Amino acid sequence: MTARQIRVASLIRREVLRFWKIKRQTIGGPLLETFLYISVFGAALGSRIHNLDGYRYIIFVIPGLIMMSWAINAFANNSSSILQQKFSRSVDDQLSSPASPTELLIGFTLGGFLRGLLVSSIAYAASYALVQEPVANALILFPSLIIVGLFFAQAGVAIGVRAQQFDDVALYQTFLLTPLIFLGGVFYSATLLPQPFRTLTHFNPVYYMIGLVRYGFIGYHATNIPISFGLLVLATAALFAWNWRVFTTGKYLRS
Amino acid sequence: MTPALKVTDVVKRYSTGVEALKQISLEIPDGAFFGLLGPNGAGKSTLIHCTTGLATPTSGQIEIFGNDAVNHYQQARADVGLAPQEINIDFFLTVEESLDFHGGYFGMPKKDRRDRIKELLEAFSLTDKRDERTRTLSGGMKRRLMLARALMHRPRMVILDEPTAGVDIELRLELWQYIQRVNSEGTTILLTTHYLEEAEQLCDRIAFINHGEIVAEGTTEELTSHYGVGTLEDAYLELVGRQELTRSV
Repeated sequence: MTARQIRVASLIRREVLRFWKIKRQTIGGPLLETFLYISVFGAALGSRIHNLDGYRYIIFVIPGLIMMSWAINAFANNSSSILQQKFSRSVDDQLSSPASPTELLIGFTLGGFLRGLLVSSIAYAASYALVQEPVANALILFPSLIIVGLFFAQAGVAIGVRAQQFDDVALYQTFLLTPLIFLGGVFYSATLLPQPFRTLTHFNPVYYMIGLVRYGFIGYHATNIPISFGLLVLATAALFAWNWRVFTTGKYLRS
Repeated sequence: MTPALKVTDVVKRYSTGVEALKQISLEIPDGAFFGLLGPNGAGKSTLIHCTTGLATPTSGQIEIFGNDAVNHYQQARADVGLAPQEINIDFFLTVEESLDFHGGYFGMPKKDRRDRIKELLEAFSLTDKRDERTRTLSGGMKRRLMLARALMHRPRMVILDEPTAGVDIELRLELWQYIQRVNSEGTTILLTTHYLEEAEQLCDRIAFINHGEIVAEGTTEELTSHYGVGTLEDAYLELVGRQELTRSV
């Protein structure tokens, strides 16, 4: 391994070790939450809804829940990990090392990305065991989930770097991220909404992410897939560029 | 011979408008044990932060063993180990993991890290604590760990920002001994401290910094003669102003 590879591997390993050491909170809690959603919305309420646009409700709702768990875990992990390290100033150990801005950004990004991957993989395995959730378009599904994970991991980095206190992180997670995800159509189809909410939903970027993931899982077609995917890639690249600029200038991290 | 640290006309102005370093210049020879003394807020930590990449100088140049420490920093940072003033240990990690990750951030291969960790844990009497979470360590143990961490990647220059602040006499002497040994093996040391006897005993050259400027530099003898006093403590008191001190009592 080259020195650069060792540095990047160490940065990623540190982030993974952090969430693994507190796995009851970082893995167990989110998994329980996802299973509760599946139970309440899928099994309990779903038994009354029967089907939605031709799909069993529980089959319809699981793709959104899997995307949601990846997104929230990627975001929460990175924002809180960076803020904790800023508080304890232990981030200085990394900032004063030869690691480049890109290496630091990759390390911080992949920690949350991998936590999201782990939680949503277990959630999918459980939902497959329960209801045989299908995968209709793997070539759309896996790239979409990966880009969604990277997008929210980058968003977590952006907020963690800017945040001054834990309240700042909670502000974005509670008042921006969660409403966008819930109103993006995790639990319902936007076609069921009355106007103007149906139109307003089209301004929610998460709506297109859920559209991609749901199409990948069950083939449900609500959004233009190539355009949604292209915009998602562009948005993720823009966030990466923003974060890279922050790490390069040292704003919020170095004085 | 290339100096270990060469600071040329460095200015650091914070966004608040405060000018912490005012066109400062300083040269530390390779292998020196160099002391940087000055009152709180004089600019010591800012200079250290600019040298190690934790702060970006507004203007000027910093070179570490001839390598640019600001724009092409990779080799420069690899040559420096920092034990900062404030405890900044990663509280999620154990003692051993702290050293291992630090070595990783500096690109050390696994086997090299393992050997070096063993060596440092023994040298700093931390072997028994290797699996303990860092948050459970006593203040003195944390200081030892920070020093061990600064030395982990075998830097050519070690910056110690008040390394003995708040530690008991026994540990202070132990740390002095270790730092002296490291210096005698060829590592350059830059030490900031408020303990004047520490600087007097350890450092072969000392610089006084005040209000962001280097106001005097030399051996203890040169500094005492510069201020026309008998001891380093008197020279320091001349620097910070006896009258100010008297007023504050």
